[in-house]
Amino acid sequence: MAVIVDKANTQGGITLADLVKLFKFDNHKWPDGRNVVLVMLEPSTSDVANAFEKIYHMQPDEVKALMSAHRSSVVFVNSEDQLLKSVESIPGAVALVDVYSITSRVNVLKVDGKLPLEQGYFLR
Amino acid sequence: MKHRILSLAFTVLVALPLFAHDDPTGMHITTKSPKAHLLFEQGMAKIEMLHVQAGLESLRKAVQADPHFALGHIMLNFFSDDPAEQVAERDQALASRQYAGPEEQMVIDWLVNASQAHWIPAIQAMNGALDRYPRDKHLAWLAGWWLAVAQNQSPRAVPLFERVIKIDPGFADAWNEAAYCYAKAGNIDKAFADIKHYAELIPNEANPQDSYAEISRMAGRFDDALEHYRMSLKIDPSFHESQLGLGDTYALMGDEPRARVEYAKAVAVGTPTQKVTWGLQSAASYVREGDFAGADAAYRQLALDAHARDLANLEAEAYRSMALYQKDPSAAADLLAKAEAVLHEPHNVPQVLLNEELASVWRSGVDRAVRDGDWNQAQALLQRLSDMAASNNDELIGFAYAGASGAIFLASGKFHEAISDFEGDPTNPVSMRGLFVAYEKSGQKDNAARLAASLASFNIPVIEQALVVPEFRKQRADAAGAHASTPF
Repeated sequence: MAVIVDKANTQGGITLADLVKLFKFDNHKWPDGRNVVLVMLEPSTSDVANAFEKIYHMQPDEVKALMSAHRSSVVFVNSEDQLLKSVESIPGAVALVDVYSITSRVNVLKVDGKLPLEQGYFLR
Repeated sequence: MKHRILSLAFTVLVALPLFAHDDPTGMHITTKSPKAHLLFEQGMAKIEMLHVQAGLESLRKAVQADPHFALGHIMLNFFSDDPAEQVAERDQALASRQYAGPEEQMVIDWLVNASQAHWIPAIQAMNGALDRYPRDKHLAWLAGWWLAVAQNQSPRAVPLFERVIKIDPGFADAWNEAAYCYAKAGNIDKAFADIKHYAELIPNEANPQDSYAEISRMAGRFDDALEHYRMSLKIDPSFHESQLGLGDTYALMGDEPRARVEYAKAVAVGTPTQKVTWGLQSAASYVREGDFAGADAAYRQLALDAHARDLANLEAEAYRSMALYQKDPSAAADLLAKAEAVLHEPHNVPQVLLNEELASVWRSGVDRAVRDGDWNQAQALLQRLSDMAASNNDELIGFAYAGASGAIFLASGKFHEAISDFEGDPTNPVSMRGLFVAYEKSGQKDNAARLAASLASFNIPVIEQALVVPEFRKQRADAAGAHASTPF
């Protein structure tokens, strides 16, 4: 799974600890001051479910409750296509997506200095 | 009269559109040379019918006719099995990129990045091209091929082959490739249904019979495999892959002398790279029958042949293969050192191939060191693998690291950690055997049973299969026999 952001986001990389803060709404702002908007796909595939487990360390019901409590910072989508289009168009957006689905219309963040498919990447 | 001919020729050239567009579902092709264009179309048509060597010949003539033909260069880079040609054509494609159209440039960006293991920009370029040209059946086929064959991502390739079939149900190879993807996923019924359709589309071609045979072999239906390989050769005696398939099938059936006879026929007519690659499969037949002296002689000769042709990765593979079955630890260590030394010499071989082979050598070194109780060596090699994997996006290197790390955890009795690592090396029988043990030791009986069935039916004729699978089947049969004879 890749961590993707909109093209205007020039951050390049993030630590896992900071990524978890973003996904848990403990940090609402990017370094450039823009609001963080989480774009979420229903965890219908095992890859997405596994990624959520690694980030949240929570049961699916607990993740849903967390999302409900922060609705203004989350955009829910039904498909990968919608997810990519949302990240492209929403300033400050961040999402997880299958690495083989990424396009050049989004940026891929390194996590702890690693890109997807590199050894040691946290969602490999 | 001469002037008139020249004038006519000039008129024809300027009348050709810059982007020729033969087919609304095909790729725009940019070349100022009609001859290059025609040769390219012929070459790709042959490749899409899996007459790869004949197709490559046409592509080579195409780039001779137009040295700035970037798409021709990048397809040669992608489909050639000659490492030196791959490097040269990649460089030519980059140098000619400015002359290519936008779709071709995306294909060049994708395949050049992929050849350098820069996976993120490669995937972005591939998806960019697929988004922008959703009706291009050739592009979808190429992407499916890359995902299935180069990236081992069959489930992700299936929608692309299905896209091709939707655009053009007569695009024969899409049925073929989809069938392989289904077979790898264990959906044998769907695989055979697609192969049957493929054979009906092109009944006079050899490859459908070859594919039918290979999927039969994967399913353990060896007699059917032999029958269809022979049907393939009857249709086209020059379809050498079927000759190789006969060797592979006899090898897996345990008839090693017959396997070598069939392999020899294939090797005699193969390309220089094929001669060595197929020779390695033949050499493994000695390992299968326990004739290690015979295997040593065959592998040593192959190493010399590979050295003479500057096929460094294959030369190293010959030495690595020998190391796998040596009883004497120092002999194994010498061979692995030799393999590594070969890879560190200067060669005209893509670095990605050298790196992948080096990772395999180190991974085999870890297995060997664990087996010989040399923990310092095992840890030292694992560290090298870790460093290489950390600075490299190549999935095969990741597999090698995962398998090596799993072997160390397994030997240390850390079964959960071993499971996590071995699961990251899903297609190597050595790792599959380790994963089976780790599942059993950690009480995961269902997972162990599922994996045992998968390993016992593993019928891909690599050296690791020869060393692991027959022995594993025997142990399972012995265990089942002992269980059956246990009195109540």
